[in-house]
Amino acid sequence: MKLTDQFRTGWRNLSRQKLRTSLTIFAIVIGAVSVTVMLSLVTSAKSFLVTSAEKTGMDKRVIVTGNTGLDYRESTWNWPDGSGKKIDEAALEAVSKVGNVKSATLYTQVNNMSAIVLGGTELPFKNMYFEAYTPNGTIKHIMVAGEELSEKTNGSGILVTSGIAKDLGFKGNEAALVGKKVTLKYRKDMGPPEAAKPDEAATIVGVVMGENGEGLSVDLAWAVKMDRIEWTENSGPNGQKSTRVESQIQKNGYSSVWIDVTDKKSIDGVLNDVKSLGYGAAAGKEEVDNQAKVFTILGLVLGGIGGIALLVAAIGVINTMVMATLERTREIGIMRAIGATKKTVRRLFTVEAGVLGFLGGVVGVGLAFAAAFGGNQLINKSLEESGIADRNLISIAPHIALAVIAITTVIGMIAGRLPARRAANMDPVEALRYE
Amino acid sequence: MAFVQCSGLQKTYNVGGEEVKALDNVSLSVEKGDFIAICGPSGSGKSTLANVIGGLDQPDAGSVMVDGVDLATAKDKQLSEYRNSHIGFVFQSFNLQAHESALENVISPLVIGGVGNKKERRERGQKALERVGLGDRAKHKPTQLSGGQRQRVAIARALVNDPQLIIADEPTGNLDSNRGADVMNELERLNKEGITLIIITHDQSVANRAKRVLEIKDGRISERAGTR
Repeated sequence: MKLTDQFRTGWRNLSRQKLRTSLTIFAIVIGAVSVTVMLSLVTSAKSFLVTSAEKTGMDKRVIVTGNTGLDYRESTWNWPDGSGKKIDEAALEAVSKVGNVKSATLYTQVNNMSAIVLGGTELPFKNMYFEAYTPNGTIKHIMVAGEELSEKTNGSGILVTSGIAKDLGFKGNEAALVGKKVTLKYRKDMGPPEAAKPDEAATIVGVVMGENGEGLSVDLAWAVKMDRIEWTENSGPNGQKSTRVESQIQKNGYSSVWIDVTDKKSIDGVLNDVKSLGYGAAAGKEEVDNQAKVFTILGLVLGGIGGIALLVAAIGVINTMVMATLERTREIGIMRAIGATKKTVRRLFTVEAGVLGFLGGVVGVGLAFAAAFGGNQLINKSLEESGIADRNLISIAPHIALAVIAITTVIGMIAGRLPARRAANMDPVEALRYE
Repeated sequence: MAFVQCSGLQKTYNVGGEEVKALDNVSLSVEKGDFIAICGPSGSGKSTLANVIGGLDQPDAGSVMVDGVDLATAKDKQLSEYRNSHIGFVFQSFNLQAHESALENVISPLVIGGVGNKKERRERGQKALERVGLGDRAKHKPTQLSGGQRQRVAIARALVNDPQLIIADEPTGNLDSNRGADVMNELERLNKEGITLIIITHDQSVANRAKRVLEIKDGRISERAGTR
């Protein structure tokens, strides 16, 4: 029997029992939808993570700290307390000489600003730590509007997060913030009242993706000035005065050196070289890999749940096909009598079960695409509200779609195997007598 | 060698723990173009003999050669090929596929045998239906046909692969005498065209049309005197 005839016969037999066929397919559809959606959610999240890391340069970043043994995340908010090696210009110079370092910058956090003022709006910072670095291209952001800090942004240029833009009333209109003059207010509790400094004038040059709490990005040179407070105080019984200067940076050094490595393959070498200089070093890749690992495990778990749905559907296929062999016993006898081999009968039922699986897979994947489309509409809306440029985060990779269809087809065929064997092994004489 | 050559056929069934000899040392030979009737009461083993000659069943012992094919030792593939293209089977209860049209039923051996394309199959099927006078019933489902017409569709199906031999197991058993006679006329005509015909029957009027009549009882076969 030709393969095309087997498919035609299988299809015909399935369409004879429309309700039963539909219900069996429906069960497979549920499994196929859950496997597809769950795997796609995870792979989409993973690829979002990876592309975000590429955009910010995190995948090729090494952070050098004075303290050793910190992981990447700890390194990003490391606050030097003098216990480790000091990170200063000399450290930057030493680290920059390491092979495969494309660029590097000193990095520190500023914590002496309390609010940003735009026009009449004063917005207190939710988190007063914000980042400062030399804008030489080492540190990058996912830009919502405007541009990165650079030499031409003139020292007093700042980047604000989309969270701050939102709180300033520029949600969805972040570009309008670019070029705006703002005032940054100092905290009042950084030193004695005499040390109070006048507000700083700044210009917003860009809006980056991030929460309000992630604050601002400013030029390192400017941050050094902000960090320094100075006041005079009485230092002797005869009314002598002396000048007191306090500077976190001067005292304990910068937080870290951030390095952009030439390529991903060189990361391990750079880490080793930096560590051999006595510094702590951590790669952004570790963090990306860790998060990716979490998603992989999540994918396996969720995919497994979908797999259980498919397994249950497979039992449905077995049930349907066993019913079919019983109902069609006489037909099988007739087919055998007019020359069908056991193999032909077995194949017919296997193909039929495979068609069930295939249709379930196709419909399931189709529905998954519809679900992804619907899901994306919802997510896009909230992305737009948060001022994030990315759209359509859930994408079903063609290879996942094809694999799911292939898997449901194979599951159908495997499930049909047992009933098909039963059908093939029927004694034709007995089958013809079956009423 | 005869067209159909059986010798020493043995077939035993186990019915409810009791051994029943369906074929007990049965030997017979049928020449090409012959028309033989195998008669006997029900349970005598005549259907078993038909099934063995038709390649649906295999004997426990003995040999059966049809058209050079050794059916007693043949494997499933060879037996199936034999059933598909060497012989035509006609059953008492027609055994048509109820969900298929007359034409689809007729061409089913071609589909199973993988013979020809769609167009060729339809042409051959239509020709076979015309041969049994049902050319205008091609699209009818079996339920839309009378018993006699159904049996003629079954004959057309048996004919579609141009077999040398037609085995008919009680072909008139489910028909009234007029329609039974029609079907027998049809089969007789085919025999005159050169097809070897083996009919299993317990109907004497059917048996009387045959050139030879064999009687089977308790699995043993004997030739009715004067029919050779």
